Amino acid sequence: MESVDIPFLSATELSGLIQRREISPLEGVDAYLNRIEQVDPSLNSYITVLATEARQAALDADREIARGDYRGPLHGVPVAVKDQIHSKGIRTTDASKIRSDFVPEKDATVLVKLKEAGAILLGKLNMSEFALGDPISSAFGPAHNPWDLERSPGTSSTGSGAATAGFLCATSLGEDTGGSIRGPAANCGLVGLRPSWGRVSRYGVDGACWSIDTIGPISRTVADCALTIGAIAGYDPKDPYTRRVPVPNYTQALTGEIRGLRIGLVKELLDTEALGVDPQLADAVRAAAEVLSGLGAQVKEISLPLVRHTGAIVRTITHTERVSLHPEWLRERPQDYHPNTRVAFMAANLIPAQVYYKAQKLRAVVRQQVLRALEDVDLLIQPTSSGPAAKLNLHPTKGSLEQAKRALVDGSFRAVYSLSGAPALSILCGFTSPGDGGLPLALQIAGRPFDEATVLRVAHAYEQNTLWHTRRPPI
Amino acid sequence: MAPLSNQQVQTLGLAVGLNISEPELTEVAHGLNALLESMAEIDLPEVNLVEPLPLLIPEEEG
Repeated sequence: MESVDIPFLSATELSGLIQRREISPLEGVDAYLNRIEQVDPSLNSYITVLATEARQAALDADREIARGDYRGPLHGVPVAVKDQIHSKGIRTTDASKIRSDFVPEKDATVLVKLKEAGAILLGKLNMSEFALGDPISSAFGPAHNPWDLERSPGTSSTGSGAATAGFLCATSLGEDTGGSIRGPAANCGLVGLRPSWGRVSRYGVDGACWSIDTIGPISRTVADCALTIGAIAGYDPKDPYTRRVPVPNYTQALTGEIRGLRIGLVKELLDTEALGVDPQLADAVRAAAEVLSGLGAQVKEISLPLVRHTGAIVRTITHTERVSLHPEWLRERPQDYHPNTRVAFMAANLIPAQVYYKAQKLRAVVRQQVLRALEDVDLLIQPTSSGPAAKLNLHPTKGSLEQAKRALVDGSFRAVYSLSGAPALSILCGFTSPGDGGLPLALQIAGRPFDEATVLRVAHAYEQNTLWHTRRPPI
Repeated sequence: MAPLSNQQVQTLGLAVGLNISEPELTEVAHGLNALLESMAEIDLPEVNLVEPLPLLIPEEEG
C-alpha cells in the first residue's frame, strides 16, 4: 500500500494491518503527518500537531508489537482530541487567547485510557472558543468543512469533525454539551456518539457545563466509533458522576441483526414548516426509517411534546453553568474573548435565577418524556439538525431577536438527548442534491441510558446496508 | 412580556459588574430576550410540581 493511501483506511482497517504487521505504526503516523501538512492549511483543524511525540510513540508501539505485547485494536492507531481535553506537558487552549499558554500537569482520564489502549496522539484539535458553539470564535481561526470549505464543520468540536472527515486522523474525540459531537458529525458526514451521561469520565476535560458535558468519539465508520468508545468508557474514581455500569464489547455488538427492534420516529422533528426542517433532510430520514424497517425493525411515529423547546432549556442551563467558570476573566479581560463569545457570556450572566430553575425543572420533565418513550420503543430516530452545514459567516454576529430565537429552536434537535442523559449517535443518511452542494445529511439514533450497544448496532446495520459512507469529500 | 430594552440590559449588566456597550449591547439584548421569551413560551403548569433532580447521584452516595 502506498503511504498516501493509508489515511483513507478506516481505523478498524488500519488496526488490522498494524496487528498483522503489514503496516508499522510509524508508517501510519508519517502518512497522517504528511497529509496534515498538505491539507490542514485549508481545513485549520489542528491547533497543535505533535509530530515528534507521535513519531516517538509510534516507534515505541512498533517495538511493543514486535515483541508480542499487542495491547488491542487501537495499538499504533493515530488519533486526535479536542483541545479541551488536558494533555500532560502539551498546551490545552480551549481555542482561546486566555488559555493559550496553559500546559496541564496531567492527562485527562480519556487520554490516559486512549494511551493505555496503545493509541498514538497526533495532536490537539480546533474547537469553538471555550466550547461555546460558535463556528468562528476560535482564537486560532475557524476550522473548515472538508465537503465545502466555505461551510461550518459544526460546533463546538469543529476540528474533530474537520480532521476526521478530512482524513487527518484515524478517529477523534470531541466533547458534547448541547450537541457538540453530533453537530460536527452531521455537518461532516461522520459518525459521532454522545455517550450516556456518566458513561465516560470528564476528569481533566475543561468544563463547559458540569451536569451535561460528555466526551465521545467522532469517527468515519460505526466500527471505528465502537472501537473508540470502548477504549474510553467506564467508571473513573476521579469523576464521581461516572457509573459502575459494565462496559460491553461494542465491536461485538455490531452483529447486523436488528429484527424485532422497536424504533420510534420523532414526528415533531420532521416538520418542514413549524421547525424549518430541510425537505431533503426530512425525506432522507424517512428513507432511513424505511431501510431499518426493511431490515426487520418495527418503525412507528412517536411524539416528544416538549422537544421543540429543548434548545432554549439546554441553553439556559448550559450558559448559566458555563459562564460561572469565567467570573474574573469576563470582567478583567473582556477584550481577550472573541466578540461572539463575549456577547454570549454577557447575556448568560444576566439570566435570572428563576429562569434557570425553571429550566432545571423542565429538564426533569423532558427526561421523563424521553424515558417513557423508550419504554414503548427501543430506540428513537430523527434528524440530527434542521438542515445541512451552513455557510461560515466570518464576521461577528449581527442578528435579530427572531434569528436568536430561531437558533434556539435549531438546537432542539440535539438538546433533547443532552437533557435526558440518553446516548445519541449521528450518522450520515444522504446528501443534498448536487445543485444544493451535495452536502451531508444526518440521522440521529438515541437509546436508553447506558445502552450505547444497541444504538451502535442499529447504526452499523444501517451503514452496512447503504453506501453513503463510501463517498469522500472533495478535499 | 415585552423585550428588555438596551438600556435595561445595560443596567442589568452593571448589577453584575459588566459594562456592556454598543456595538455588542444590541446583540446581548437579542440573545437574552430570545432566551427569556422562549422560556416564557413554555407554558406547562405541572412543571411547578416537578423537583429538579441531578441526572445521577455520585456513586458513593447511591
